Amino acid sequence: MPWNPGDDVISVQRGPRPGGAGGAYRAFGETLRGLKTTFARVLEGPITIQYPEEKVPVYPRFRGRHRLHRFEDTGLEKCVGCSLCAAACPADCIRVVAAENTPELRVSAGERYAAVYEINLSRCIFCGYCEVACPFDAITMGNDYEMSDYNRSDLIFTKEMLLAEPFDRAPLRAEGE
Amino acid sequence: MPRPETRMVTLSIDGREVTAPENVMLVDGAKYGDVEIPVFCYEPKLGAPVGACRMCLVEIEGIPKLQTACSTPVKDGMVVHTQTARVHAAQEAIVEFLLINHPLDCPVCDKGGECPLQDISFGWGGGRSRFIEPKRHFQKPLALSPLIAIDRERCILCYRCVRFSQEIAEDYQLVLQERAAHTFVATFDGHPYVAPFSGNIIELCPVGALTSQPYRFRARPWDIEGSGSVCTLCPAQCNVNFTVRDERVLRVLARDHAEVDDGWLCDKGRFAYQAVHVDERITRPMIRDGGELRPVSWERALEHAASALGRAQARVGAIAGGETTNEEGFLLQRLVREVLLSNDVDSRAGGSLSLDLHRALGAPAAQATVSDLEFADAVLVLDCEPVDDAPILDLRIRKGVRRRRVELAVATSRPSSLDPNARLRVRFAPGCAEAFLLALEAAIGTAAGEPRREEVARLAQAAGADAGAVHALADLLTTSGDDVVVLWGERVTGGERGEYAGRALLNVAGRLGLRDRDGAGLLCVPAGTNGRGLAEAGVLPNAGPGLSEVEEAGRDAAGIAAAVAAGDLVALYLLHTDPLRDLPNRGAWEAALDRASLVVAHAAFLTEGIRAHADVVFPAESYAEKEGTVTHPDGRLQRLRPAIGHQGETRAEWQVLAELARRLGRDLGVHTGPMATDQLVAAVPFYAGITLDELGGKGLRWPAREAASAFPAPATAGPFELEPPAPAPAPNGRLRLGTFRSIWAAPEVEVSPALKFLHPRQRAELSPADAQRLKLFPGDRVTVGSDGHSVSAIVALRDGAPEGTVFLETAIPEDSASLLEGPLVEVRKA
Repeated sequence: MPWNPGDDVISVQRGPRPGGAGGAYRAFGETLRGLKTTFARVLEGPITIQYPEEKVPVYPRFRGRHRLHRFEDTGLEKCVGCSLCAAACPADCIRVVAAENTPELRVSAGERYAAVYEINLSRCIFCGYCEVACPFDAITMGNDYEMSDYNRSDLIFTKEMLLAEPFDRAPLRAEGE
Repeated sequence: MPRPETRMVTLSIDGREVTAPENVMLVDGAKYGDVEIPVFCYEPKLGAPVGACRMCLVEIEGIPKLQTACSTPVKDGMVVHTQTARVHAAQEAIVEFLLINHPLDCPVCDKGGECPLQDISFGWGGGRSRFIEPKRHFQKPLALSPLIAIDRERCILCYRCVRFSQEIAEDYQLVLQERAAHTFVATFDGHPYVAPFSGNIIELCPVGALTSQPYRFRARPWDIEGSGSVCTLCPAQCNVNFTVRDERVLRVLARDHAEVDDGWLCDKGRFAYQAVHVDERITRPMIRDGGELRPVSWERALEHAASALGRAQARVGAIAGGETTNEEGFLLQRLVREVLLSNDVDSRAGGSLSLDLHRALGAPAAQATVSDLEFADAVLVLDCEPVDDAPILDLRIRKGVRRRRVELAVATSRPSSLDPNARLRVRFAPGCAEAFLLALEAAIGTAAGEPRREEVARLAQAAGADAGAVHALADLLTTSGDDVVVLWGERVTGGERGEYAGRALLNVAGRLGLRDRDGAGLLCVPAGTNGRGLAEAGVLPNAGPGLSEVEEAGRDAAGIAAAVAAGDLVALYLLHTDPLRDLPNRGAWEAALDRASLVVAHAAFLTEGIRAHADVVFPAESYAEKEGTVTHPDGRLQRLRPAIGHQGETRAEWQVLAELARRLGRDLGVHTGPMATDQLVAAVPFYAGITLDELGGKGLRWPAREAASAFPAPATAGPFELEPPAPAPAPNGRLRLGTFRSIWAAPEVEVSPALKFLHPRQRAELSPADAQRLKLFPGDRVTVGSDGHSVSAIVALRDGAPEGTVFLETAIPEDSASLLEGPLVEVRKA
């Protein structure tokens, strides 16, 4: 038997009684009002975008998959392996192991370079703090948002993958569009 | 010299009432009121402040100009302001000045993230720069030494490193060259800065100008974790902080402990961590199969060792090396005594002493502490070389002499690096500490008016020492004050006459009234890291845990070697030791290892004895993986905590010992590391009640606890009636042989990539007079031989070396002096 707290404890608010003209309006009138919007859109024709054949252009500041950059003139990596991105990352998804440039093997412009640079995209929350933290504009958020894969470990992007020129899969929204 | 009493004074800082000890500098005093004053050049460990960086300027009422808080002592009633507009303007200006030449390459700088210059610029700087002129440029990065990189652009000229080199380590290598804005830190003529304590300047540098080469670019502060433990590479047992990233030790920092290391580390302690992660390290159990050691599974190795040890029952000898922890030593002696029913277990290299002498020398009443070295009236360094045997004590003695005017006397065979600081130096023939101590005792008697001058002359001659110097030493020790600390090396009580030398030492201590006196006493530098702890845990042939009596005394290390060679013992159990490296008389050990039918070893590296003779090798834990306790020479129990997981298939030693015992039919009742500690504490009466929690991060001196009263009293603590010893052999054209173990003679140094270059090769240290007589020059290759054995060495001259003596290194892989039988050797040009 359910516990009865007594009338003075809970006052139950009840709606209007069903039945009558008012009841019929509530049953059908509101539904028809909603269907009006539906039929009005049917007349406009479909606006579905046929993804993945068609893609929604992204805004220039859209934060998609990261990219690492090289200097255009020398081809050296901009990243010096300072690990500030890893420090800024709230999801702790960046791992950097630095090493020293030698005259024989010069990878970056500074004294050190990132020997290992990995981003675990399955952990990344795409907040863009790494981009903000980077003192050399070596890492930026790209436009690519198509990163699904069959394997979690394939979502750990290495330095070579991040440095590679991405396929322009996500169109960029033009100015003012 | 009693420690100065601290009187508290009250002053006002920023309107707060602050109570601080009198005469501390304002920077330190402000901390008592939670006020932070930024500093760069000030570091209390470096002694007197220099006021070079001007970062600590504060306003003091009654003084018109701003004052440097680092060099102004607090005074009663002082009113200080650190937050006024004037102070802020000055601090901002100083930061701006310091940054005009600083390259601000923080992203590539190793200091970034743990850099005082970053922190202070952020906290007290103006956040802008008006300097548009070119900054000064140096070639960078430069190697100041193979261990340290210097980046002069980043230097803010705080002088810390130079002061360390000049006033703490006193190696006088680092200097400032040029003047004013052109000043830079350098060594004379660009020589590499190689010294036993050079690594400390890395930690001292408040910017990224001096960085560690092995740690270069390895990690950033947010990638790493710190893990406090104790360094077990030498008896000084400095407190360290391992920097760990991804289960690898990447760096070792000092963990300041005023009673142990004073915040410094030697380069071995700072850089030999690399040995934890080298390929040479043994990380899998191995069995000798077809003449070669091959990796096998733990199961097979344990089964093999257990069945072979079971067959050898009662005919097993065990030796524990210095790096063994108290728990491991305790379990080893349980395994040997209770399970294998043998009494032959030892941890001392130099031969055994009577139980009574162990008790008398280890008694809490006569025990000095490390900080006593600093506050004593006089310190006698007796037959040890602190910089080799326990490096950090060298710095402590220097500090005492420099800052507290401790009267230092050095009485050794081999010239010491402390000689220049000593008021008095006495040399005696190697191995003649007994005669020297008897002479000293007689000389102290003479100083007290007894007619024993002739006795002194006779004994001094027997010791190969100068009688006048012995008298001068006695005068120094009796007149300088009541607090005398004798820092003596275990070498004193080594050899056949060790027992008598120990008694002579106790006689001297009794004469000087060192017993029952705070601030005075004896401090032993054991040969092995945990020499004291192993003796107290019962790893002695004639003593059980807690220096208790045993029913039947066993053989000591030399006895074990002889018994194995003679076939009386058939198996050897070597815990962290390679007898060919660590123990004297290599010939006897080679014979023993050849004859032994079973050699079980716990080893981290395949040193020559292990490689050639071990039948079963268990991989030994490194000190970064160990759990347990060690006992400092002054009685401080310190706790080792694992910083990283076990590398490879390594297992904890307590686990292996307990498993072996189980397979031999006896459960030791140890299933975790702390259970072993509990057993040890229960078995040693004077450790009673100690828990790991109580030890904590700073350790605990058991002689200072109440349970110390349970220390077994010696039957007699002296004075002993002693016969005069045989005189030191006359050279007669040959030379007396003295041996020493270099700070760098360790397998950890041999395999560490960064330290390898310091690993020693044999050298013969001669006095210039002998070299002239033998027509030898520094760098000549010579053959030192005796009785058919000989080693090859390079000649090195040492000014203070006594005539007629040659000093050779032990504990090195090739040409070790332990191959030679003294006391006289012949030196020939090779």
